[in-house]
Amino acid sequence: MKLAKIAPRLALLFSLSLVAQQDFTGAAEKNPQSVQVTIRSILAENKNDEFDAKLKGMEQQLKSLKYRSYRSLKDDTKSVPWQGTQSFDIPGGRILTVAPQEFQDNRVSLKVRLTQGDTPVVDTTVKIPNKGNFILGGPPHEGGVLVLSISAAAQ
Amino acid sequence: MELSDRELVQKCQAGEMNAFQDLVSRYHQKVYMVILGLLRNREDALEVAQETFFRAYRKINSFQGDSSFYTWIYRIAVNMSIDAQRRQKRNPLDFRESMDSVMEAQNHTAKDPFGDVHDRELRERLVKAINDLTPEHKAVIVLRTIEGRSYKDIGEILGCSEGTVMSRLHYARKKLQDKLSEFL
Amino acid sequence: MTNCENMRESMGRWLDGELSPSESAAVQAHVATCAGCAEARRQLESLQRALTGVLVADAAPIEFIPFWREVQRRINSKRPWYEDISQWAREVFTAPRVAWGVPVVIVVLLAVFSLDSYFPGNPFGGGRNSFASVESIDAHGRSVALLRENESKTTVIWLYQNEEGENETGEDRSQAGPTF
Repeated sequence: MKLAKIAPRLALLFSLSLVAQQDFTGAAEKNPQSVQVTIRSILAENKNDEFDAKLKGMEQQLKSLKYRSYRSLKDDTKSVPWQGTQSFDIPGGRILTVAPQEFQDNRVSLKVRLTQGDTPVVDTTVKIPNKGNFILGGPPHEGGVLVLSISAAAQ
Repeated sequence: MELSDRELVQKCQAGEMNAFQDLVSRYHQKVYMVILGLLRNREDALEVAQETFFRAYRKINSFQGDSSFYTWIYRIAVNMSIDAQRRQKRNPLDFRESMDSVMEAQNHTAKDPFGDVHDRELRERLVKAINDLTPEHKAVIVLRTIEGRSYKDIGEILGCSEGTVMSRLHYARKKLQDKLSEFL
Repeated sequence: MTNCENMRESMGRWLDGELSPSESAAVQAHVATCAGCAEARRQLESLQRALTGVLVADAAPIEFIPFWREVQRRINSKRPWYEDISQWAREVFTAPRVAWGVPVVIVVLLAVFSLDSYFPGNPFGGGRNSFASVESIDAHGRSVALLRENESKTTVIWLYQNEEGENETGEDRSQAGPTF
């Protein structure tokens, strides 16, 4: 009986405590410890009509590139500290270097550099939604093109 | 010819203060008695009764006639009394003191139905037992005892079902009987 | 529950006149023959008399004129504006159903606005941009295209081959590169 009477007040206190825990300022007041970066190296080509089952979940993204077939070459996941750097080996003698910059408004800011040997191919800074990704593609590879899916999740 | 409550309310809503005075005249004693039963303090009961009619006047235009006027005014009175009881619990009155002041104000010594020691003790224990009830249980006991209202009417006043009134009455009476068993 | 327990449960309602005629007759008949229930009735009636003595006998009549004058005074006096607001707030937010409604609404609103953290790109994401945004890009002399695919909310950085032949195999270049 008493519990039934005070339960609405307890529920109100609980919901207000949830509100108090929210970060409404949007500022990066509490930075996550590190970022988990995943690089998926994919070969896109027009030789046949195959879609690698390992790429399930990416159909919509990849098919928009209008190639006929997509094959997973390599998946690599590493934890990268903020303001630190981490390099990933990419098929074709390439290296992708990633440097997470900041976490703001639930978006991860990444500096990304793709090099071929010692030659830089592209430098870019991208802000992606936390746990989201972007596509970097175009470098030729084995008769098709290399497509890299770069995703980041703040931890 | 005496106007009905409904007619008086309509006149109040049209701005006639005399009509409201008639309504207060009709119900002030009953409302005061119910509030006194709940608060057990004369001064507080008067204050709350006056405030009840003041609030009723402020809200008279919102009275649609879905219930009778007396149900509506009692509902205001009981809600205000329950609020006052909650405030009282935070600043508890010495109930013995408050009962003494009631007795003194009403000069009851000659007509005291509880003349002998046994009955006086029963009365004191009963007052304490009533005070120990929750406001909701006290309300059903007071409305049933003072007003003799049906369970349906009490339910309308308190905004609960007849079944709830029945179970609260049963529970409250059982509690009072348990505390007063040697006296009954 | 025994018959006596049933009867005692109904005793209050019977004395209050809330039973149907047939139920009332049944209780009356039982009480007439059962000493235990007859005693329960006696105790309940004794309690009722005591309650009447305390609650009714104590309440002496109050004079109407002074009472009405005080009510009139309240009606005619101006109250501070915050008293009305606080009264209104108390009535609204402590009404039992509303008392539950307020925390439920708060939790639902929080859930909706937090949805984007767990399901980026959801239609209720409060308008946040689900696309990756390219802050800067340097393709070191190469042609580059920035593309957005709306259905999957994907940002694509596409590097085109330069004329001097980074093309490994000499494939038909018209087949290379996305055609959005």
